[in-house]
Amino acid sequence: MTIEPQLILLPLLIPLSGAGVALLLRKRRPYQAGWALGSMLLSCGVSLWLFVDVWQTGRPLVWQGGGWLAPFGITLVADILALFFVVMTQVVMVTGMVYALGSGDKAVKYPAFLVLFLTLCTGLTGALMTGDIFNMYVFAELLVISGTVLTAISDDKFGTEAAYKYFYMSLLASFLMLLGIGCLYVSYGTLNMADLSVRIQAQPDGLLLLPAIGFLLATFMIKSAVFPFHFWQPDFHAASPTAVSAMLSSVVVKLGVYGFLRMTFLLFAAQAVQMRGLLLVLGIVGILFGGLSAIGTHNVKRMLAYSTLAQIGFILVGIGWGTPLAITAALVFAFNHSLIKAAMLMLAGFVASRASIKSAAFDVVTGVGRPLPAAGLLFFIGSLALAGIPPTSGFVSKLLLFSSGIEAAAFWPLLILGLFSILTLVYTMRAFMRIWWQDPAEGISTKPTGDHLLAPILLIGLILVLGIWASPLVEAAQAVSAWVADPAAYVTAVLGN
Amino acid sequence: MELLTALTIGTLFAIGVFQLLRRNVIRSAIGLVILANAVNLFLLTTGAYLGEDPAYATYTGVGQRIADPLPQALILTAIVISMGGTAFVLAMLYIISARYQTANMDDVDNLKN
Repeated sequence: MTIEPQLILLPLLIPLSGAGVALLLRKRRPYQAGWALGSMLLSCGVSLWLFVDVWQTGRPLVWQGGGWLAPFGITLVADILALFFVVMTQVVMVTGMVYALGSGDKAVKYPAFLVLFLTLCTGLTGALMTGDIFNMYVFAELLVISGTVLTAISDDKFGTEAAYKYFYMSLLASFLMLLGIGCLYVSYGTLNMADLSVRIQAQPDGLLLLPAIGFLLATFMIKSAVFPFHFWQPDFHAASPTAVSAMLSSVVVKLGVYGFLRMTFLLFAAQAVQMRGLLLVLGIVGILFGGLSAIGTHNVKRMLAYSTLAQIGFILVGIGWGTPLAITAALVFAFNHSLIKAAMLMLAGFVASRASIKSAAFDVVTGVGRPLPAAGLLFFIGSLALAGIPPTSGFVSKLLLFSSGIEAAAFWPLLILGLFSILTLVYTMRAFMRIWWQDPAEGISTKPTGDHLLAPILLIGLILVLGIWASPLVEAAQAVSAWVADPAAYVTAVLGN
Repeated sequence: MELLTALTIGTLFAIGVFQLLRRNVIRSAIGLVILANAVNLFLLTTGAYLGEDPAYATYTGVGQRIADPLPQALILTAIVISMGGTAFVLAMLYIISARYQTANMDDVDNLKN
């Protein structure tokens, strides 16, 4: 069966229209919750269906906005790379929505919370699916504004401070992106990514090409908190409401990873070698810095935020090696990291919601986990997955990444990767021991009620399933990796000649 | 004209970055606004020198070099977005200055521990 290309609008339009209707339902909380969850589930199902279809036919679905053919109109391109990230985003955001609905936070009760959650999903999906670089900027802004407002209304009393820091950085990132877009436009006279790719290859000495690469690299580095641009990230991820921080630290940071893949394979294929070298170095520095910082923190959520910095480093190392196997590894790693990090942050938030004051600081949550063995088991499995120990899906991603490193004969990076994988276990086990093993301090008790455990159960279940039955994910990632290596196919699909 | 535009954009960038690095939160917000305008001017120049006549309005099609209209559409979008962003920044600044009783960025550091 062939799918009409208009249908690729559905993963965008369902959350967006769902957000509009959810705003109208703000006075009727149960209806609003049901509607929001329903639209997330529907949109997730549709994107999964589109992904399977594009995977099987091997042809991307391209929608030319308003009948204006590329490169003149705005094009939405659902190729397998974009859909891989869209599926990842929407699966994790469904569980985020489930967590939010079962959460006792005051922030979740705001009428606009679920609306903003849906617009966050729209912004991320749109930024992934668009084939127009200016359109990507617009969707990224939608994403940033939704994420910032969701953090600013956090129960954490420092939520506004964290939101301000993040927004400040992302406004700068969007200025950099605009500058990069301007540089590309003045040199090549187009904004369509496929057209840009063709023109850059035809004329690789464009006047402002190098500044454009620099600006766009910096933009995506700020978006995914790569080492020198990471400083806002632990503050921001630790202070937002749990359901939101689980999204920010898992799927929102992957926008930068997607951007790097598009830049190295499609836009600037001629300069990819230098960019890969840079990403490799920054990835390794991120692994070192993130891992060591995670050990030195006093807060579980903050620790996990630093851990994201290290895990993004692992993904960048995969992109930096750039072989087909390494790209497969980076994609599988990105997918699994989203699930694992979302589950771990939700569990940290679950424990914080049971603590005497709502905080994930170690001196508040010490011993709080004693009456909650189920959450402890889930956290333990999550820690194993984060470190890459079978039978979890983290093992599959580490295995692929290490074998690609052996294939690339990069033994010094491999040594660092191996050491810091073990370090992951050190910091997660430290948190595990303090929360679930130690006796609580005097006067600290566990609250009888708190957030619901359903969402982390779903995620950990998925992690175990993908650890034992890994072939669908790995095969999908192989298909994506083979697809990105052939930018000419993307160009043909979009420009149609 | 090109030199004047280039100097203006450069000066705006310099002022914007300088203000951005100030300790005072209000000044740094002003820096953001100035920087946004510098970026918009830069976008304007990407299409400004291709032709003299406005697009569509007086276009006859014979030997006429019309100005590129696309950067102006881009700027329009960027202006709207940065306006929303600025309003939001100012709203958050209002909350922060009321909560922390300070405008010094060094004192707004409760997230460190």
